[in-house]
Amino acid sequence: MIETLSYEFAANEPVANRAHVGVVASGNCEVLLEPAADGRASIVVRTSVTGFDRTWQAVLARFFARNPVAVQIEINDFGATPAVVALRLEQALEYAR
Amino acid sequence: MRTVVSRGRLWYERFANKGTAVAGLPPSVLAADVSLDGFPVRTIVVVPDPQARFERARAGEVGIDEGFGLAAAVNGTPKKSAILAIVDVPGQAFGVREEAVGLQRALAASADAYIRARRGGHPVLALVVGKAISGAFLAHGLQAGWIGALDDSAIEIHVMSEPAVARVTRMQREDLARIAREIPATARDIHTFARFGAIDRIFRIADFDEPSDAEVANVHEALVAVLRNPVLALRNPVDKLAVPAATQTRALARRVRDELAARWDE
Amino acid sequence: MTPFLTESFAERGARERARALLDPASFRELLDPFARIASPYLAAQDVVPQADDGVVVARGTLGNRRACVVASDGRFLGGSIGEIGGAKIAGALELARRDFEDGRPTRVVLALDTGGIRLQEANLGILAVTEICDAIVALRERMPVVAVIAGRVGVYGGLSLSTALCSAIIVSEGARIGLNGPDVVETESGIEEMDSSDRPLIWRVTGGRRRFEQDFTTELVADDVGAIRAAVERAFERPRPLGPLVPPPFPDPRLERDAFLHAMEIQP
Repeated sequence: MIETLSYEFAANEPVANRAHVGVVASGNCEVLLEPAADGRASIVVRTSVTGFDRTWQAVLARFFARNPVAVQIEINDFGATPAVVALRLEQALEYAR
Repeated sequence: MRTVVSRGRLWYERFANKGTAVAGLPPSVLAADVSLDGFPVRTIVVVPDPQARFERARAGEVGIDEGFGLAAAVNGTPKKSAILAIVDVPGQAFGVREEAVGLQRALAASADAYIRARRGGHPVLALVVGKAISGAFLAHGLQAGWIGALDDSAIEIHVMSEPAVARVTRMQREDLARIAREIPATARDIHTFARFGAIDRIFRIADFDEPSDAEVANVHEALVAVLRNPVLALRNPVDKLAVPAATQTRALARRVRDELAARWDE
Repeated sequence: MTPFLTESFAERGARERARALLDPASFRELLDPFARIASPYLAAQDVVPQADDGVVVARGTLGNRRACVVASDGRFLGGSIGEIGGAKIAGALELARRDFEDGRPTRVVLALDTGGIRLQEANLGILAVTEICDAIVALRERMPVVAVIAGRVGVYGGLSLSTALCSAIIVSEGARIGLNGPDVVETESGIEEMDSSDRPLIWRVTGGRRRFEQDFTTELVADDVGAIRAAVERAFERPRPLGPLVPPPFPDPRLERDAFLHAMEIQP
C-alpha cells in the first residue's frame, strides 16, 4: 500500500532554485524541491512504509521551524529514517539557495 | 495413446515438410527452406533435444548452442527469402556453464541476425505456438515484423517464472496472481500481450496438439497474405508503437520519445 | 572541485555518472525528475515510483562532439528497466540515428547498471528491450555505440543481450555481465548449480575482469571517473570494435560441473 501524506507550514523566505536529491532505494528517499509562489511551504510525501504520519509531521515541522522557506516539496520515500529525511531536506535546501 | 511431440516441432513439420533442410545446425535448431505459395521462406524452430550436450538446455530452452545455431540459420538465409520463426521456447537455459560461456552473447547473436536480416530486406514473421519467454523470445521471435499466435491458454509470455519472481520481489504467489489480473504489463497470456500491439493475428484452433488441415491451411493463408505484401513483416519494433491496438497501451512510450525529441536540441 | 587521486564512478548515482562522462559544464538533462514522467504501474504494486524512473538521459558534448549519455540508476528497483526508462534508452538511440542521417552525428554512451527488465512492468519492459536491441544495431551501423558497465550491479537480463550488441563495452572489475542472475539460476536449477551466496564464484564467472579476459569487452578499467572517461573517448576516437558474436572456445559441456569450470580456468 502506498500512503500519500500532505503537510503545510507558514513560510516567508524565498529560495532561488529548484533542487533534487536522493533516490528511492531501501532506507532512502528522493526529494524534489521547487520555489513556491505564495508564502507557504507545502509538502507531499509518498511512502510505502505506512502509519508514520505523526513522525513525518514532526520531522517536517522541525525542518520548517528552522528554515521557513516558501517551497513546494515532494518526497518519494522507501523507508528513510527521520535522520535520513532531515539530511535530504538539508541537502536539497543547500542546492536551492 | 498418442505421443505428444513438441508444439514447435509439430507446427514446423506442417510448414517445412516439403522443404530443404539446412545443414550444420545443432539438433535442437531445425531450419528448412520452403516455398509457401511460391514465396521462399526459411522456417526455423527450436525443439527439445534430450541428448543435448548442455544438460540445462534439453527441454527446448535457448542455450549456447541454440542461440548461436539460430544466428547461423538466420544469417544463412538465401537472398530474397523471408524468414518464419516458429516460437515454442520455455525460456533461456539456466546454468553455470551457460553463464561461464556467455549466454547473453549467444542470444544476442540470434537477435542481431534477425535484426540485420529484417533491416536488410528479408520479411521476418513469427508464429507463437507455445511458450515465448524472456531472453529466448528476445532472441527468437520478438524481432519479427509480423507476429501471429495461437489462441491457447497454454501460451505464456513473460520474463521470469513465478517462483523466481516471488523470490526476487519477495511477494506471495497469490499477490502476484492478483497483480497479473490488475496490471496488464505483468500478465502472462497471449491476449493481454496482444493489447500492447505486439501480436498481429491470433488463430483459433480446436486441438492444439492435433490441428486440422483446415486450421493449418488458415494459418498458411494468413502467412501468404503477409508475404504477398510484406510491409508488416519488414516493420521495426518501434513502428509497432503506432498500431491501432497500441493507441492507449503504448501512449506513454510514445510520449517519452516525443518529449525527448522536443528537447533534444536547445 | 576537489581533486582526488581516484574518484569512484560506481559510488555515484546515475545523474552524476552521466555528468562525469560528458564534457565539463555540457551536461543538460532531458526529462529530469521535475518533468515527473514516472511509472503509473508501480503504486498498485506497493512500490513508490522514482521521478526519473531510474534512467537519466543527458545531452551534451563528449570530446567536443555532440553526445548523449543514458545512465540507469542501479539503486532504484535494482536498476530494472520499465516502460519509461526503456523508452528513454530506445528514444535516445533512435534520435542519434536520425541525427546521423541529418549530418550531425551524436555519440551515444549507455551507462547501464541494471538487473534487467522490471518485473513489475514485464510485458512493456520486454517490448522496450526489443526496441533497444533494434535501435543499437541500427545506430551501430553508423556510429560506435559505447556501453559502460561499471556500476555496482553490472548488467543482467535482457539488457545484457542489448549490451552484447554494442560496438564497445567498457567494464570495471566490480561490475558483472551475465544473462541470468545467480539467484535466478539457483531458483531454476538448484543451489548445486549456482549458490547465489557465493559471491567470489559469481565474480569468477561473470565479473568484469573475467569478461575482459574472454574478449567479451573492449576495455577493463579501474573504478575511476577519469579512467572511464578516457576509455569512452578512446572508444569513439580510436575504436577497437568487439569481435563478431560467435561462440568462444569452451570445453565439453558434458563434463561434470566442477570439471567444466576447472577446464574453463574458473575455480569452482
